[in-house]
Amino acid sequence: MKTIIEPFRIKSVEPIRMTTRERREAILREAGFNLFRVHADDVIIDLLTDSGTGAMSSEQWAGIMRGDESYAGSPSFYRFQARLQEVTGFEHILPTHQGRASERILFELVGGPGKVIPNNAHFDTTRANIEHSGARAVDLPVAEALDPARLHPFKGNLDVAGLERLIAEVGRERIPLVMVTVTNNSGGGQPVSLGNLRAVRAVCDRHRLPLFLDACRFAENAWFIKLREPGQSGRAVRDIVREMFDLADGATISAQKDGLVNIGGLLLLRDPALLYRASNLLILTEGFVTYGGLAGRDLEAMAQGFEEVLHEDYLGYRLRSVEYVGEGLVAAGIPIVQPPGGHAVYIDAAALCPHIPRAQFPGQAVVCGLYRIGGVRAVEIGSVMFGERPPPALELVRLAMPRRVYTQSHMDYVVEVCAALASERNSLRGLRMVHEPPVLRHFTARFEEL
Amino acid sequence: MRRRSWAEPFKIKVVEHLRMTTRAERARAIMDAGYNTFLLRSEDVYIDLLTDSGTSAMSDRQWAGMMMGDEAYAGSANFYHLESAVREFYGYRHLIPTHQGRGAEHILSKCCIRPGDTVPGNMYFTTTRAHQELAGGQFVDVIIDEAHDPASEHPFKGNVDLDKLSRLIARVGAARIPYLALHATVNMAGGQPISLANAREVSALCRRHGIRIFMDATRAVENCYFIQALEPGQAGRTLAEILRELCSYTDGCTMSGKKDCLVNIGGFLAVNDDGLAEAARNMVVLYEGLHTYGGLAGRDMEAMAIGIRESVSDDHMRARIGQVQYLGELIGGAGVPIVRPVGGHGVFLDALRFLPQLPREQFPAQALAAALYVDSGVRAMERGAVSAGRDPETGENRYPRLELVRLTIPRRVYTQAHMDVTAESVIALHEQRERIMGLRFSYEPKSLRFFQARFEPVEGGAVLRH
Repeated sequence: MKTIIEPFRIKSVEPIRMTTRERREAILREAGFNLFRVHADDVIIDLLTDSGTGAMSSEQWAGIMRGDESYAGSPSFYRFQARLQEVTGFEHILPTHQGRASERILFELVGGPGKVIPNNAHFDTTRANIEHSGARAVDLPVAEALDPARLHPFKGNLDVAGLERLIAEVGRERIPLVMVTVTNNSGGGQPVSLGNLRAVRAVCDRHRLPLFLDACRFAENAWFIKLREPGQSGRAVRDIVREMFDLADGATISAQKDGLVNIGGLLLLRDPALLYRASNLLILTEGFVTYGGLAGRDLEAMAQGFEEVLHEDYLGYRLRSVEYVGEGLVAAGIPIVQPPGGHAVYIDAAALCPHIPRAQFPGQAVVCGLYRIGGVRAVEIGSVMFGERPPPALELVRLAMPRRVYTQSHMDYVVEVCAALASERNSLRGLRMVHEPPVLRHFTARFEEL
Repeated sequence: MRRRSWAEPFKIKVVEHLRMTTRAERARAIMDAGYNTFLLRSEDVYIDLLTDSGTSAMSDRQWAGMMMGDEAYAGSANFYHLESAVREFYGYRHLIPTHQGRGAEHILSKCCIRPGDTVPGNMYFTTTRAHQELAGGQFVDVIIDEAHDPASEHPFKGNVDLDKLSRLIARVGAARIPYLALHATVNMAGGQPISLANAREVSALCRRHGIRIFMDATRAVENCYFIQALEPGQAGRTLAEILRELCSYTDGCTMSGKKDCLVNIGGFLAVNDDGLAEAARNMVVLYEGLHTYGGLAGRDMEAMAIGIRESVSDDHMRARIGQVQYLGELIGGAGVPIVRPVGGHGVFLDALRFLPQLPREQFPAQALAAALYVDSGVRAMERGAVSAGRDPETGENRYPRLELVRLTIPRRVYTQAHMDVTAESVIALHEQRERIMGLRFSYEPKSLRFFQARFEPVEGGAVLRH
């Protein structure tokens, strides 16, 4: 069957405000050609991120009403804790206001000058938090990940031989932990196989290094494992998720992705000494250990979200709808990272716009074009986001799909906008950065069109 | 004059059930919690006066705002609503939302304080001082002496002592003072207000020396209520007018929206200086979230924008503070020693006079809070030696002059009958105060120890004897 039926119906809607191309042209100029600076009201289809932009279920909204806002010892916390213990098998669950807070706490404790943190590919906030602590963030993707057109079922895998080389080169004592991001966001939302996770675990065991997951999209990763990894198709997603977490000594999670909530994060730990230090830092900067800087109602919404995300008909719908957009773009002749990832489709901007040199940010040019033509907001994942020294491997534009928000007709519209962009690609112009903030510059930078 | 009641300017729309417990269950629960009320499960609490932070009831309009949340990652409409509410009522130019007040303190401290700096303020607050010390600064208290005397009836015990401040500036030099931290109201002194006149003078002095003032505006509207009620010439003005003037004497504020702003989560940093705003925005991205959401859901920014408008309503604030004063009159009127005058957000029991038989090393306020829970299921908070922690240099316990138990009143949550039950329990406990036993640490965390510390009665047995 070609049509994707959502395993839900709509309970509450939010109107979309239409804009004209002329109006969008003016908005783009005002925003310094940076879509992060555009008011959400002025966006027709918002594919900036899948983080915190999902629609909650009626059950989650019921949890929102049930939230107990006691400062300490709220029953909402205990419900949240029990659910997360059940899903992940971790005993110690610290709530944080969002994923980057979990990262900040972790790297403030284990990072620092001289330290090296390997990962299949660090995401922007992870890298920023590691570098802010004085440590070095090292990406170790497999070679297949660097070729956007190449089909490979697990392009998110970490290069195990590369990890061995890194350990030999810098020494195990300088590596406080090894991280694996599931799915691999910077590399195109590509999954990591169980086989690869087990191999990384074996290396960690040999060198007595802890393994941490950046597990924002753990359920989407598990669904890919079920679909693609030999011998896994008969297992329940829950079992696969549990095995992924069982292989790890800790995890940071932004619940704004697979937790199906608008706000919230987690830090999972096994080591009691690290837990003690993390709890103290949590209290100082986030909130008391039984609320972590969240309202009680947000803990309720997470408890329910981490259950719903494991429903297999949801995951089937979720990944199939992303793939559907990918098929549409390919049919329109647009080069994308193959195969489409779990939460987003990534356009290969360098291949789409060979006339724009990398120093003129082809990804940003495509992002501006999509907004101008159809009011679609996407995000550049390339030289703007990661800096030019050294330039990242790929110049990508990410169309991230919020969960349970847009329908198939919204997606058909997005494909049409992309097709229109492809037909006028030669008129796209490069950009020059005229204002550059010192950290995470992509959020607030300003540009001029050349 | 005959007593005039303060009926609430609202009716109840949604209720939350409470569970009643027996004294035996409570004795067990407090033992399991290591005699620390922070570690009680809230299900075991009947009336929760632990804090007024994030525990308020939102209005139907705020809940409607929750449904209007625009959860876009960048440029959410709710951010602009919040920004305009802060500009309109507080008057600061730049708004940087944070997930809660300590997020704003963290960023302000990191942006402004260099190692070796001195930060003067009208009495310390736990998380604020922790952030100042973490950034390498040292906090120096410049509050008036009356603030440390629980019996003094000074109407504005939160005021800054201008002589102390001048002497400090002369001693360390204005260049080593990145800013003055002005609390309105002063939580650790018992929710005591500062006067508008004092704020004006402090501002003039600081501006002469080029020292910025950042206000902890968490309960600034409550502070304005006291200005309106007690300061000569202010009675005819609205709270909104007074708030704008108070803020005009400062260069910005940190805000925990969980108090005055009537929300369960949220805070912000607001500043006038363009350069500081830019630095803070770069930092908020790293720690909190993009500068147009700061780690908050869009719906929470909307609820805060609406809450700010509701908080400056004169009717709302009269009922709010009226309820606190009512509890204070009941307890103080029965001869129980409390901090006078009664402050804006709670009634503070003076544990040193309440339990004169207990030496300070036995943490009388901690013991009193535990005993109060056993007696009636009312949860209060220690604000004394346990909260003050140890001196970072000597490692010795700090014994502040005030050893208090805070009965903090959540906004719009409890009724007059709940206040009556609370007062009756406190009064009964005062009559049998010799049955309350002292405590000692059985587990002491290194920083902000009051949150997770565990205790045991020094003589074994129960904290409240039969």
